[in-house]
Amino acid sequence: MTATLTRAEAEDLLYREAALLDEGAWDDWLALYTEDALFWMPAWRDELTPTADPDRELSLIYYEGRRGLEDRVIRARSGQSVASHPRPRSVHMISNVRLIECIANTAEIASNFTVSLHDIRAERTHDFFGRYRHTLRREAGAWRITRKYILLLNDTIPTVVDFYSI
Amino acid sequence: MTIDPVSLIDDRPDEGIFRVDRAIFRDADIFELEMRRLFEGGWVFLGLASQAPAPHDFFTATAGRVPVLVMRDGDGQLGAFVNSCPHKGAQVVQTRAGNARMHVCPYHSWSFDSAGRNRAIKWQRAGCYAQSFDRSDHGLARLPRFEEYRGFLFGSLVADVPSLAQHLGGAARFLDFVVGQPEEGIELVPGAVTFTYDANWKLQLENCSDAYHFTSTHPSYIRIMERRQKGEGAVGVRSIWEQSQAWREDAEGVQGGSYSFEHGHVLNWGRIGMGETHPLRESAEAITARHGEAGRDWIFNMRNLTIFPNLQIAENASSQLRVIQPLEPGRTLMRTWCIAPKGESAPARRRRIRQYEDFFNPSGMATPDDTVAYEGCQRGHAGRIDPWLQGYSRGMTASRQGGNALSDAIEASPLRNVLADSQLCDETLYHNYYREWARRLTAAVHE
Repeated sequence: MTATLTRAEAEDLLYREAALLDEGAWDDWLALYTEDALFWMPAWRDELTPTADPDRELSLIYYEGRRGLEDRVIRARSGQSVASHPRPRSVHMISNVRLIECIANTAEIASNFTVSLHDIRAERTHDFFGRYRHTLRREAGAWRITRKYILLLNDTIPTVVDFYSI
Repeated sequence: MTIDPVSLIDDRPDEGIFRVDRAIFRDADIFELEMRRLFEGGWVFLGLASQAPAPHDFFTATAGRVPVLVMRDGDGQLGAFVNSCPHKGAQVVQTRAGNARMHVCPYHSWSFDSAGRNRAIKWQRAGCYAQSFDRSDHGLARLPRFEEYRGFLFGSLVADVPSLAQHLGGAARFLDFVVGQPEEGIELVPGAVTFTYDANWKLQLENCSDAYHFTSTHPSYIRIMERRQKGEGAVGVRSIWEQSQAWREDAEGVQGGSYSFEHGHVLNWGRIGMGETHPLRESAEAITARHGEAGRDWIFNMRNLTIFPNLQIAENASSQLRVIQPLEPGRTLMRTWCIAPKGESAPARRRRIRQYEDFFNPSGMATPDDTVAYEGCQRGHAGRIDPWLQGYSRGMTASRQGGNALSDAIEASPLRNVLADSQLCDETLYHNYYREWARRLTAAVHE
């Protein structure tokens, strides 16, 4: 039987991901991803063109497989990274959710995001904003993320950007 | 000027003392002097010739606070100009790069060709200009000095500077190893990454040359490397640091060291070797044919090169070109690129890019720990009780005048050198930065 996804279900999943990132519940966050998940935040080739070929152009973050994200979680929790502790307070706001395609147990969702961050140590507040593309796959009765594309529009990075701040 | 720059550097070599006053990182008058004497008063790196390969190609850069336009004219000649219309001062070119025979100022439509010449003043005949106006030059202001060294473009906003060759001096030998791997020339991998940090530009200057911080600042990165060596962690991302002994405390023998050159340039280096994850491994034979065995060994060393004051090339986990742009005493903009040899194979390029993203990006697992540490330093630099910093003392009894066997083998001629085991972590190479800094900030200049 082929599962279909409604926009309400898509929103639920995106909002759940956002909440887990903001709460620091990163094991549950990782569990949303398939083993082979691609996590990709491109850089910009020029003013209006993001990089498109990760093998020949630079990305800000590019991992093929959830294990790359597991590395990031381990580092962020290690207590051995001054950039990761104390973690900034964050809130992800996701809107303009559109169901782009839903066929044969896969679905693609487009959305816009703003992440507001407060770096307590530096007493500095900053927003990252841009567009997401999530590709979902139905696995063992649940929708999981098999690809997340993050187009960061304000890419002059104030000191740090990490998986939990985009 | 309320502070004498020389009074902020306590340089007493005979007594084994070198100290720096924290004020150099926070003082607004010092910052203004740095801008005028270093960044707007001497050679600064502007970009690579490969950023404007074809006639009429251009890219923009900055020299200190001054917007600069580098263009290749119709005859293929590169030139550097102040990106500011002589009419009202507006920035003429709005984009980072492109190709155009003519640049029209968006404010009042004065037009300039790719050689910087004025080609049109709107309604000039109707303008009732005086003859003296018609007789004067209306082109873009050309940088008084603009030269290339093997694809590296440098400019100076003042004319009274030594030639670029003199300025680079012995450090040029190490630029040779950046460009010949083994083909002539390097290219910027598409996708520039820009970040800021809220601390002084000299924190970045020093950190690139800092062997002492690696195991303290980056243990989380080291832990991830160890995971990946065991086959855990990210697939397809490996680091050449994995093979290096240079940062392992139990490594024996000479593991690296430093060289200081005239005019403030420094190199620090460490042994990495030709591990399987090194993107250049496929080119080892061709590199040997071009540079000899000694040159090849140097190319396979970790090398962090600073061309004072604004260019750093870090060749360790992949290769990064960084341009330091001070914004305020406590704020710095970094423009960074992954650089790669022309003609590199697709798998090697891919490996290079993956290592780069993981280590160098502000979205990676190493650089944020550096920049956040700089910000901590900047807050700490507010301290005035015991202002003298003690971070310039390691290696004091190991620093030697001139070169050593390793630099002799490639005919490099440094002013000073240090050979180091894995724990020495020389700090005397910073002396070279601050001696040049003091010399330039106090020199009599015609302004």
